[in-house]
Amino acid sequence: MRIATSMIFDAGVASIQKQTAALQHTQQQVASGKRMLSPSDDPLAASRALDVSHASANNEQYLSNQKATGESLGLVENSLTSIGDLLQTVRTLAVQGGNAGLNDSDRRSIAADIRQRYTELLGLANAADSTGQYQFSGYMGATKPFSGSVEAGVVYAGDDGQRLLQVSASRQIAASDSGNDVFMRMHNGNGTFVTAATTTNTGSGIIDGGATLDPSKWNTVANSKDFSLRFAVSGAVPPVTTYDIVDNVSGNSLLTGAAPGAAPYPRVFQPGQAIDFKSQGAEPAFDFGAQLIVSGQPASGDTFAVQASSSQSVFTTIANLITGLETSSRTSANATLLANRIGTALTNLDQASNNILTVRASVGSRMNELDSLASAGQDLNLQYQQSLSNLQDLDYADALTKLSQQQSTLDAAQKSFLKVSSLSLFNYL
Amino acid sequence: MGTSILNIGISGLNAAQTGLSTAGHNISNATTPGFSRQQSIQSTNTPQFTGAGFIGQGTNVQTIQRVYNQYLSSQLLSAQTRLSELDTYSGEIKQIDDMLGDPSAGVATALNDFNTGVNAVSANPASIPARQAMLSSAQSLVGRFQSLDARFNEIRDGVNSQIQSTVVTINSYAQQISEMNQRIVLAQANGPQPANDLLDQRDQLITEVGKQVRVSTVPQTDGSYSVFVGNGQPLVVGTVPFVLAALPSREDSSRLTIGVALPGGGQAGLPEALFAGGVLGGLLNFRSASLDPAQNALGRVATALAMSFNDQHRLGQDLTGALGGIFFNAPTPQVITPTAPANAGTASIAAVISGVGGLTTSDYRLAANGGGNYTLTRLSDNVNVFTATTLPRTVDGLTITLASGAAVAGDSFLIQPTRVGARDISVAITGPRSVAAAAPIRTTGALTNTGTASISSGSVNAPPPPNVNLTQTVTLTFNTPPTTFNVVGTGTGNPVGVAYTAGGNISYNGWTLQVSGTPGAGDVFTLSASPAGVADNRNALKLAGLQSTGIIAGGSTTFQAAYSQLVSDVGNKTREIQVTSTAQTNIFQQAQEAQQSLSGVNLDEEAANLLRYQQAFQASGKMIEIASKLFDTVLSLGR
Repeated sequence: MRIATSMIFDAGVASIQKQTAALQHTQQQVASGKRMLSPSDDPLAASRALDVSHASANNEQYLSNQKATGESLGLVENSLTSIGDLLQTVRTLAVQGGNAGLNDSDRRSIAADIRQRYTELLGLANAADSTGQYQFSGYMGATKPFSGSVEAGVVYAGDDGQRLLQVSASRQIAASDSGNDVFMRMHNGNGTFVTAATTTNTGSGIIDGGATLDPSKWNTVANSKDFSLRFAVSGAVPPVTTYDIVDNVSGNSLLTGAAPGAAPYPRVFQPGQAIDFKSQGAEPAFDFGAQLIVSGQPASGDTFAVQASSSQSVFTTIANLITGLETSSRTSANATLLANRIGTALTNLDQASNNILTVRASVGSRMNELDSLASAGQDLNLQYQQSLSNLQDLDYADALTKLSQQQSTLDAAQKSFLKVSSLSLFNYL
Repeated sequence: MGTSILNIGISGLNAAQTGLSTAGHNISNATTPGFSRQQSIQSTNTPQFTGAGFIGQGTNVQTIQRVYNQYLSSQLLSAQTRLSELDTYSGEIKQIDDMLGDPSAGVATALNDFNTGVNAVSANPASIPARQAMLSSAQSLVGRFQSLDARFNEIRDGVNSQIQSTVVTINSYAQQISEMNQRIVLAQANGPQPANDLLDQRDQLITEVGKQVRVSTVPQTDGSYSVFVGNGQPLVVGTVPFVLAALPSREDSSRLTIGVALPGGGQAGLPEALFAGGVLGGLLNFRSASLDPAQNALGRVATALAMSFNDQHRLGQDLTGALGGIFFNAPTPQVITPTAPANAGTASIAAVISGVGGLTTSDYRLAANGGGNYTLTRLSDNVNVFTATTLPRTVDGLTITLASGAAVAGDSFLIQPTRVGARDISVAITGPRSVAAAAPIRTTGALTNTGTASISSGSVNAPPPPNVNLTQTVTLTFNTPPTTFNVVGTGTGNPVGVAYTAGGNISYNGWTLQVSGTPGAGDVFTLSASPAGVADNRNALKLAGLQSTGIIAGGSTTFQAAYSQLVSDVGNKTREIQVTSTAQTNIFQQAQEAQQSLSGVNLDEEAANLLRYQQAFQASGKMIEIASKLFDTVLSLGR
């Protein structure tokens, strides 16, 4: 092939330029530590890297949301612990207050103590978080949620809002609980029904909170959920106590199916023996899955009410307890009334404690979930960093080998070009 | 006889001298661009017939010819044209590639920061600093969009000015070629000898035009060339140059395109497709195949972000208890009505975005067919989206309406749905209190409820604006048995006995909520306004969720994904152009080598030629000396 002199120069310069360009690219890679200097170096990896850094940014966002949720829940948990302790103290005081050996002034001083707790509880319920927002006011963070007094009762001014936070791509966790759920919306009695002694009872019958054997039976349509227990004591020796269960809605006796008759009543009463809401013997068939116990000796005409539970705030429960302790005196009928009141208060306090515990358990399980999400999120973060690094970062060993290889190629190209271009016949003319 | 030898010697001396001149010319032009080496072609003189046969009469130089191959040269020319097209394209698209790849300039980081801002408000809805931070991150996101768009426009301006200077260059070469044609015709009119150096110069001029735009030549009998650029637009015919011009496009005056000066004055635009190859082809191709779609794609992300964010924001409630307003000033499509020459009709066309999911990254041409009928062409794939249809019409996420006037057949309009999206997006709200983080409604179950049913917090139905009765208090009261409920509240129509499905959607007044669990008879649930819900983050949560929701491209692509798709598209195109350009460089080098191998000067060869003709000269001189001696011998015979 015929070679033109310009070809020697053009080809030499072109190859030197090519080598220099490659060398410069590698040098830039080494200097920046990046495999891709612009997306065109590896378009697939570049867009993948954007996707991964977006996913990683999202993940970090979730981690920071988890932290925010955790902090908020931590504060709620603190408050709930204090409230739980407080209710325990009130319960102890209530049990003390029920002690028959106490005189009126002892009970009043206990009542005064419980009043203090009441105020303390009100303070806890109005707790604010680090930004000054009330913890238990739902969405209405700037509104003081609870106000009132023992006598006037406490009113909730917040709403039912629960603030959710996005803590993972598919999971939102509540960072707060509304005051309604914590303090107000708790069932009194045993949670299904509530028992109460009529204040005019003269006997020593004390009714317990009762037990639900089968909630589905209690919830049958046939159940009116509003009953009176009526007691009568016969004049015989020894006296026989009988009782009737009257459905207050239909006005009929549950045990006969007809209008309640005069004493003696259909069932015979034994103190401490369970009273079943279930037909026995020849009674019309019914079964509401509930039983309760009356201990002591009711007098003739004594009645006890059994009704469906309704919401009663913890404030009302404690207020009732305080009123009970403050108004009771030492007559025997009053002692029974006091015992019944203390019993009801204890049942309701247990409900309140249970409710607080339930909320605490829910907060705790949320915090647990956050912990596991956080550790998963941190693992994920590591993986994202790793795949980002795989996509973007330079393999230095590889690049440096390439650099020295390109260096020597360039060197060879330059030297050989010099040699070839210096050859000329004119040197000899 | 002596004179004959002398003559032969002189002819040899002359031929050798010509040879030496030619070699010298070659040596001195070894580095002249476009120079083809020349050879002197010698042949024998007519011999003298004698009885002893033909006696040679020496030599003469028949012609000086350039070593040139038309085929190799045109191959080189077309390789050069394609290479400079690819080089131009590659140089231009590299600017976008570098810009998008720079993490500090791209939108990706700003989108993430904005997402963080929204989430911070979601975590702390009542916090003014968090709201302020969200606004700031929105500002910086918008700023990023705008600066990227400004950069796109700089590149666009750069393309315009390069088109202008390319056209000037081509015109100047056309002028020179026409002059060269004239000189060659004159030079060659004197005889059949080729005007080698002039031909080389003209070829070189044609090569220079070939760098700017694809060029083809047709040799004429008088030795001139007719030169055509692109796909057949005459540039030089004989000695007449045609003047090209860079004209604003009729459809979009911000866009320079190529036109030609008409003989009777005035200029006429030519279709861009006519000008392929070279710098010009590279610029036009880059603008329509990469710059437009990339800027549209960026605009689409901005438009979709603004509109979807606004839609959700307007369903919320701000810190002052008012319904959310618009968060961003959303960009609107651009409709360009030609001005020079203007449409014959008076129609004014309006286009609004009716669904961000349907938006493409293309521009559209709406052409009037007369009689109120229109044809819409999507320019990216040249598909007629609809033909012979009356307006208004909704297609590809756009609703096109006739705003006023009437169009006549032949009128056309250019619709750019997202071209200015990244330029026009801005933050609309000013105060941190105006961020609508809360929902305007709240729900509660009465404390006296005996059942275990619970009510969800409720959500406001899209799209905005919300129902006028949205915040009216509505109560749901369960009947006995609690399998149905009654609804009471303004705007609901107070239906009674609505069947209850646990967890089913209950929707009135533009809200939707669910009641789940087992309600008791007489249980009451209430929905009401939530004027004091400062710690409510329900809407902020939904706003934050938008970033991970598929919104673009029929609801399949998130903002981030759409942006990374843009980066990947540009990266891939850049890569493709670079790879093609590398391959084309090799093709060009091979063509150049083949051409140079034939026509290029080899200095060693010329050195050898110098020696050859020097020796021939010396030998001829010797011959003259011998002839002289012979003559002396003859003269001495008489003494």
